[in-house]
Amino acid sequence: MPLKPSSCLEDVPFVMRGPEFPVWLLHQLLSIIHTPWRMSLLRGLLGMELIGISVRPFLDFQERLALLGTFFILIDKEVIYICPFNGPIKGRVYITNYRLYLRSLETDSALILDVPLGVISRIEKMGGATSRGENSYGLDITCKDMRNLRFALKQEGHSRRDMFEILTRHAFPLAHSLPIFAFLNEEKFNVDGWLVYNPVEEYRRQGLPNHHWRITFINKCYELCDTYPSLLVVPYRASDEDLRRVATFRSRNRIPVLSWIHPENKTVIVRCSQPLVGMSGKRNKDDEKYLDVIRETNRQISKLTIYDARPNVNAVANKATGGGYESDDAYHNAELFFLDIHNIHVMRESLKKVKDIVYPNVEESHWLSSLESTHWLEHIKLVLTGAIQVADKVSSGKSSVLVHCSDGWDRTAQLTSLAMLMLDSFYRSIEGFEILVQKEWISFGHKFASRIGHGDKNHADADRSPIFLQFIDCVWQMSKQFPTAFEFNEQFLITILDHLYSCRFGTFLYNCESARERQKVTERTVSLWSLINSNKDKFKNPFYTKEINRVLYPVASMRHLELWVNYYIRWNPRIKQQQPNPVEQRYLELLALRDEYIKRLEELQLANSAKLSDPSTSPSSPSQMMPHVQTHF
Amino acid sequence: MEFSELIRTGRAQAELLRGPGAPPLRGTLCVTGHHLLLSPGPQATSDLWLLLLRSVDSIEKRVAGDSGTITLRCKDLRVLQLDIEGVEATLDIARSIEALSSLESVITSFPFFYRPKGLRLGDAWHFHPPEHHYKRVARETNAWRLSEVNEDFSVCPSYPRAVIVPRAVDDDALARSARFRQGGRFPVLSYHHAPSGTVLLRSSQPLTGPQKRRCAEDEELLRAVLAGARPGARGFIVDTRSAQAAKQARMTGGGTEAKAAYPGWKRLHRPMERGRPLQESFVRLVEACGDLEQSMDRWLSRLEGCRWLAHVKEALSTACLAAQGMEREGACILVHGAEGTDSTLLVTSLAQLILDPLSRTMTGFQELVEREWIQAGHPFQLRCAHSAFSHARPKHEAPTFLLFLDCVWQLGRQFPLSLEFGEGLLLALFEHAYASPFGTFLCNSEKERCLCEVRTRTHSLWSGLNQPKEQRKLRNPLYVLNPLAIWPSVEPQSLRLWQGLFLRWTRPPEPSEAAWEKVWQIVTDKEKTEGSQPTVSASEPQP
Repeated sequence: MPLKPSSCLEDVPFVMRGPEFPVWLLHQLLSIIHTPWRMSLLRGLLGMELIGISVRPFLDFQERLALLGTFFILIDKEVIYICPFNGPIKGRVYITNYRLYLRSLETDSALILDVPLGVISRIEKMGGATSRGENSYGLDITCKDMRNLRFALKQEGHSRRDMFEILTRHAFPLAHSLPIFAFLNEEKFNVDGWLVYNPVEEYRRQGLPNHHWRITFINKCYELCDTYPSLLVVPYRASDEDLRRVATFRSRNRIPVLSWIHPENKTVIVRCSQPLVGMSGKRNKDDEKYLDVIRETNRQISKLTIYDARPNVNAVANKATGGGYESDDAYHNAELFFLDIHNIHVMRESLKKVKDIVYPNVEESHWLSSLESTHWLEHIKLVLTGAIQVADKVSSGKSSVLVHCSDGWDRTAQLTSLAMLMLDSFYRSIEGFEILVQKEWISFGHKFASRIGHGDKNHADADRSPIFLQFIDCVWQMSKQFPTAFEFNEQFLITILDHLYSCRFGTFLYNCESARERQKVTERTVSLWSLINSNKDKFKNPFYTKEINRVLYPVASMRHLELWVNYYIRWNPRIKQQQPNPVEQRYLELLALRDEYIKRLEELQLANSAKLSDPSTSPSSPSQMMPHVQTHF
Repeated sequence: MEFSELIRTGRAQAELLRGPGAPPLRGTLCVTGHHLLLSPGPQATSDLWLLLLRSVDSIEKRVAGDSGTITLRCKDLRVLQLDIEGVEATLDIARSIEALSSLESVITSFPFFYRPKGLRLGDAWHFHPPEHHYKRVARETNAWRLSEVNEDFSVCPSYPRAVIVPRAVDDDALARSARFRQGGRFPVLSYHHAPSGTVLLRSSQPLTGPQKRRCAEDEELLRAVLAGARPGARGFIVDTRSAQAAKQARMTGGGTEAKAAYPGWKRLHRPMERGRPLQESFVRLVEACGDLEQSMDRWLSRLEGCRWLAHVKEALSTACLAAQGMEREGACILVHGAEGTDSTLLVTSLAQLILDPLSRTMTGFQELVEREWIQAGHPFQLRCAHSAFSHARPKHEAPTFLLFLDCVWQLGRQFPLSLEFGEGLLLALFEHAYASPFGTFLCNSEKERCLCEVRTRTHSLWSGLNQPKEQRKLRNPLYVLNPLAIWPSVEPQSLRLWQGLFLRWTRPPEPSEAAWEKVWQIVTDKEKTEGSQPTVSASEPQP
């Protein structure tokens, strides 16, 4: 039987497969074969999530338990889904340990809900056994991806109890000492996404190490800084001893290390956390000297530029808790600018307001002023503006840049990664972007576990914040302004965000590299990039034109920023245009044509150059095929 | 009249600043009868900079020391600054521009002098006559005829010579119905929707007056419309005013169709803004877009306060209502407001774009503009006399046509593959409607165009636009024929500010234009691949 578990999660919802499948044959098989064949057949079927509908009656309790490792239908019952757009819809809900799936049972509705349990942030019971009114008893589920789900059940016999308990167990496995689903997922892809990012290779691509910068393994076992990656790039002239002394003066030991170096003018982007200045205005000679060493890696430059991502007042307020910023007196050769970007709490509240005006119903009468009052776009503007300043300083060769905020894992990651995206066209390819995320976000300890709360039931935790979403939004804004500059399309960005929450892949689990290593994430889970890279066509922008060395400066004015409707309001059916989406279809066609054209041209050129002894008479040079824009250097 | 009387100074040395992105130009400034010229000097003749004086909307002069500055705000929303040597020269040039840019006479305007190379007079003027439209209607139904009752423009001065009317109604009845409608605009066919067998009509308000007068021929006309459509068809009258406003119009002789007099027809009121409030909304929006100093934190609420997008929403949803009535309800639709020359045309033309795939092609859209706006008597000369910068108190100005173009742009944004033309064509139409070397948008009606001999003495914009070298700017490279109706989303979050128009001169133009160019490249490359074998092998040396 041709069973391929690898494609089971994506695209083909399991219930849809049911009718096409020769169920009678299955039943026959199950009734005649016995262990161990029976078990392996079952595993194969489970891979397709077929088991619940087709063969569940044939399993005994032991078998059910044995199969709990992979997908297993835990709930299969009729409920009423209270659709905020079309009213109550009777449906059949299936809950596996990965997802909640609902199919409408009403003939006039083709509704399907497909929600990975990782997306759920909160499950509440609504109404009681004695509540009056239709559909007043059931469950209310809040999701991390801008929607809420509401199910009504029969009031008799505690009908919601099993659903509530199963959902709570599997949506919040941490609270029940269960593993996160990614560790159970046995999907196979023909590409291994864990191999995408290799820090040594990435630094080599940047031309490192060189005369001024060296690679150090001082953090090999995470003893210098437990939230940094094991491999770091630091100034050649700073000894390991210097680094250790600097670490004592930086919040959580996050010392200034190189993120990116300009291939020509050799200015750099360096990232770190705030200095531990405190109320008394402490100084640290080693830190001061270290920053000067960074400045001197490029001899023509007299100043090092420091961008403190925070608003000035916040930076001052941080002194009270031991932090602070680099003062003019202590750092003679540095210039400090504040970028006015607010902290994680402000961003969380802002996104909450966005949800309030778009879900379930869009605030229509004063749409624009309501949108303005969320300040979401204003925050996007400040982040982009900050990144533009970093990119401009480095691209113009005016000075090297040091970026920090408080701990250097939220706003700092946004600024360095966006600036790198503007400066380096490599990061605008699909693999390049994966490397950028892997490097600046995942390896440098953006606290994904705390910000997203994978498998955690504490929905109101103050550590939650949509910092990474905000970064992806900025990338989307850039891709809108430069439609040909990015190899990936909107679907790529949405897929990344979907799996930021889904817990299907190990990519975004845990807060830092050391924790990931302890949990052997790369061995025990699948990478999101495996999914994407094994089906790249789906995520390609047909208009992509590779342009080496082009620096992108997006316009970060409110006039040119817009709400990402296709993400934030995607659950609203009124936003959707005609189905099936003709644009997507046409894009795919164009993409295929474009590939075909390039291949054809290459063939013709090959044929031509083989025939011609003098290549200069070749009628079609590659430059005709790929327009190169003049570099800005 | 001699233009030379109005030209105070022939020339002066000046520097021209054209806003961000464009380098300043230095050279000799010249005022001619129709143009402002800047010639950079004897060595560089090709870089002559030229501005049609007619496109200047407002002019502001400032003198300091021995030089002056003139700020020209153009009808296409561009802002230009001229720094001129000599106080006297500055003042003289300013006065000349002022006088020449506000000339009202049509026959001395530039289109009557414009003789471009490669175009012949008279070309394309017969590109879209009503006869052409009637041929299509006659292929689909037999219930309509082409009437020449307005041959000499005596029945309705703002209609073209020929209009399409129900076959069952004779010319005398039409003339009587015309007397019962404001400005003589009796109900005529705007579009026949073949799939549902229903029609879209337009007219002006009936002159019922306070005594609630009736007109048997007018009632007969609308009855004949229903009889000619599929059996049992109903009709909707979409009045673009509020019920209140329609009632009030009776006091001044107008009014609306009484229910009892028109059996089978049901009235719907969809109030749409027009005239002054629309012009003011446009002015406020342009002001907001040009205000670069103001703190941008309040941009969105300011944009909302301009109400422009609210007008876009109103127009699109009323058009959807009319289109839905035909396609979904199988009803005939009559649209009118008061005069029937503004919001009425907005609704009928948008409804056609939504329903009719042919009107979404390059030629189909040009036909639509010609038929539903120019020949249908939208008073371009009055409405587009000034754009958003003029300090003059608006009299008849209103950006109704611009609102139409904006709605079309929104359709194009929501259905990026369904329109054969691109933003370029919409921008060109906006520019030419306000100031143009071509005669197409001159005058207020066919009658006036006839009197001025516009067709024989000026060039048609359509022949200018349809030259092969213009195509890349105007066409949509992604177009594929979409036979379905395109129902736009009119939710506020689906509508966007048309940046390409309103922020055209303040944003760096590079990314989107470069991107467009690349899309073209990919699409034409594709065509080339399909035929590349012969070209490549042809250039190979023969063995």
